[in-house]
Amino acid sequence: MIQAENIFKIFGDQPEEALALLREGKSKDEIHELTGQVVGVEDVSFSLERGEIFVIMGLSGSGKSTLLRCVNRLIEPTSGRVLLQTDEGEVDVTALDRNRLREVRKQHMSMVFQRFGLFPHRNVLDNVAYGLEVQGTAVDARREAAGEILDLVGLGGWGSSYPDELSGGMQQRVGLGRALATQAPMLLMDEPFSALDPLIKVDMQDELLRIQEELHRTMLFITHDLDEALRLGSHIAIMEAGRIVQVGEPEEIIVNPRTKYVADFVEHADSTGVITAATVAQPMPGPRFEVISEAGGVAIYARRGFPNLRISVDVAGKLVEIENMGKKAKVEDLDEVLSNPPPELRSQVMALRCRPDATLKELLHGRTHTNLPALVVDGDDHVLGVVGERELVQGILDKRAPVREAPKPNAVERVG
Amino acid sequence: MNFLNIFDAWTIPLDDWIQAAVDWLVTNYRDEFQTMKLPIEWTLDAVTSLLHGIPPLAMLGLVMLLAWRTAGWKVAIFSTIALTLVGFLGLWGDTMTTLAMVISAVVFCVAVGVPVGILAARSERFASVVRPVLDVMQTTPAFVYLVPVVMLFSIGTVAGVIATIIFSMPPLIRLTSLGIQQVQEDVIEAATAFGSTSRQILWKVQLPLAMPTIMAGLNQTIMLSLSMVVIAALIGAGGLGNPVFRGLNSLNVGLAGIGGLGIVLLAIVLDRITQGLGKPSERRRAR
Repeated sequence: MIQAENIFKIFGDQPEEALALLREGKSKDEIHELTGQVVGVEDVSFSLERGEIFVIMGLSGSGKSTLLRCVNRLIEPTSGRVLLQTDEGEVDVTALDRNRLREVRKQHMSMVFQRFGLFPHRNVLDNVAYGLEVQGTAVDARREAAGEILDLVGLGGWGSSYPDELSGGMQQRVGLGRALATQAPMLLMDEPFSALDPLIKVDMQDELLRIQEELHRTMLFITHDLDEALRLGSHIAIMEAGRIVQVGEPEEIIVNPRTKYVADFVEHADSTGVITAATVAQPMPGPRFEVISEAGGVAIYARRGFPNLRISVDVAGKLVEIENMGKKAKVEDLDEVLSNPPPELRSQVMALRCRPDATLKELLHGRTHTNLPALVVDGDDHVLGVVGERELVQGILDKRAPVREAPKPNAVERVG
Repeated sequence: MNFLNIFDAWTIPLDDWIQAAVDWLVTNYRDEFQTMKLPIEWTLDAVTSLLHGIPPLAMLGLVMLLAWRTAGWKVAIFSTIALTLVGFLGLWGDTMTTLAMVISAVVFCVAVGVPVGILAARSERFASVVRPVLDVMQTTPAFVYLVPVVMLFSIGTVAGVIATIIFSMPPLIRLTSLGIQQVQEDVIEAATAFGSTSRQILWKVQLPLAMPTIMAGLNQTIMLSLSMVVIAALIGAGGLGNPVFRGLNSLNVGLAGIGGLGIVLLAIVLDRITQGLGKPSERRRAR
């Protein structure tokens, strides 16, 4: 949908000189000392798939807002290219003249701002209709379209109010509505929820995900809040001092932080909604399991240290049954248990079965109903691994997979 | 000769130069200046005959309506009473002449001042040229430029209006410029991000948001032009300055007093009405 290639932004009056020094490998501090130029963004590249929410996260001063503005050239990048795929083909945004750039801003990219940026002299409806007005849509048509958008963002009936009569959350709904109304496929979100109260913020995140479900826009979303990034992002890029230090899916960032900076961030994030069963599960077969019997094409596994629990699988690796202390346990789907919670808690005769992408949070909720571990199975009911209490705790505390010896693929360990 | 007193040795003949420059302008360009005053003359004539043509009672009604729509019923009642009083003081004709002068002067102040203010807000270089000119316009005593105005435009009400325009335009330019510069940067950025042209930003965002400040400038301009009315009477302009000026000449305190009262009442009425124009909440309610 959009690619940024080697974006540099240098603030000052001799950017070329600073750029040359930067390419020679001088540090930002050295460059500032030598030339007085400030390096805002340094050699950043990224690419967004159509319909995804790509989050750029970093602390204030990391250059994330500057980078966002380089995409629609509210700030002119010193060097680099931004390529936008449109229905009429690929457009190099950085090479456009003023008129063509305005067309791109009108038709292809809209923006939501941290401080809302609403027009205080226009009512809510005309704020939302602003982009359409600039596009040249007639009054009646644009007001009608804006009215529909207001319903979508949950502000139906507020059209004739003025921005200063609304709460912060409602104002940002107007800001979001204004950006959605132009039908631009690409949305640039500059810390849209950072100025809101924590509860309102979570509401707005849910709202955004709901709207995204319906509209499938492509969003480049800036935030300094990792929890927000984890909730919204399909990919997250972490920025530090003008550079992107790591890009990946949310779970990847949490589980494998590549630098200390990222690790420090991740330390305080609520990762339970991100880390998945596949990551924390103890693989089975694996070094922590032993085979007790293999009679009649059914292998019975027991976990080392938990002799009472036995898991039987057939030759293909499909689940046959679970036994606890000699009693056969019911196997329930995690999703089913979560949507219709059974009355009993801490059952000894029910085990859970979940998909590899079930989150820690879901597993924890499920865990309140049973003391038995959860089995991670794929779409064909093949057992991939087991999530017990130890894996849950390790997943929460260490934000990573359990310590395991290098697993030998498909090797079944035999004892005695 | 006391050589320590260096100023006795030589005096810059600037007064002669100014005299010569104005004389040269008068000799060579008087016709052009006379042509320049034509639009002002037409405007003034039109407004004067309109105001004098409306019967006083109808005029009172119009003022009441205008004041009520812009500034509420309290101002409407006050304005009506004030103008009725002025009428019974025998000053109705002079008041209408003064009002016509003020309106004509303000029309030209707006026509020139608002665009100049907009340009000054958008270009720092232009602003740096305009600022000292405005300083000179505001600080030069009015009596100083009355002389060249008379030499170039002859005496009379039109010359009075021209002097009034010079005197009262600066605050409108300054406040227009200030109002536009005060518009929040993030609002401009939002308008830019949605692909607005700079003209669209000016008309759809900057001017509407600067309007209260521009209206404050307009209010100042009107007040200044009223205060110029008495001085303009010195060069033969009619209106409420006349009784004041005649009272001054003949030591007739009573005559000067009622002239002054008329000016004060008219000033208050115009002030309250234009202040009402500048209040956005009032405008919103009126919609």
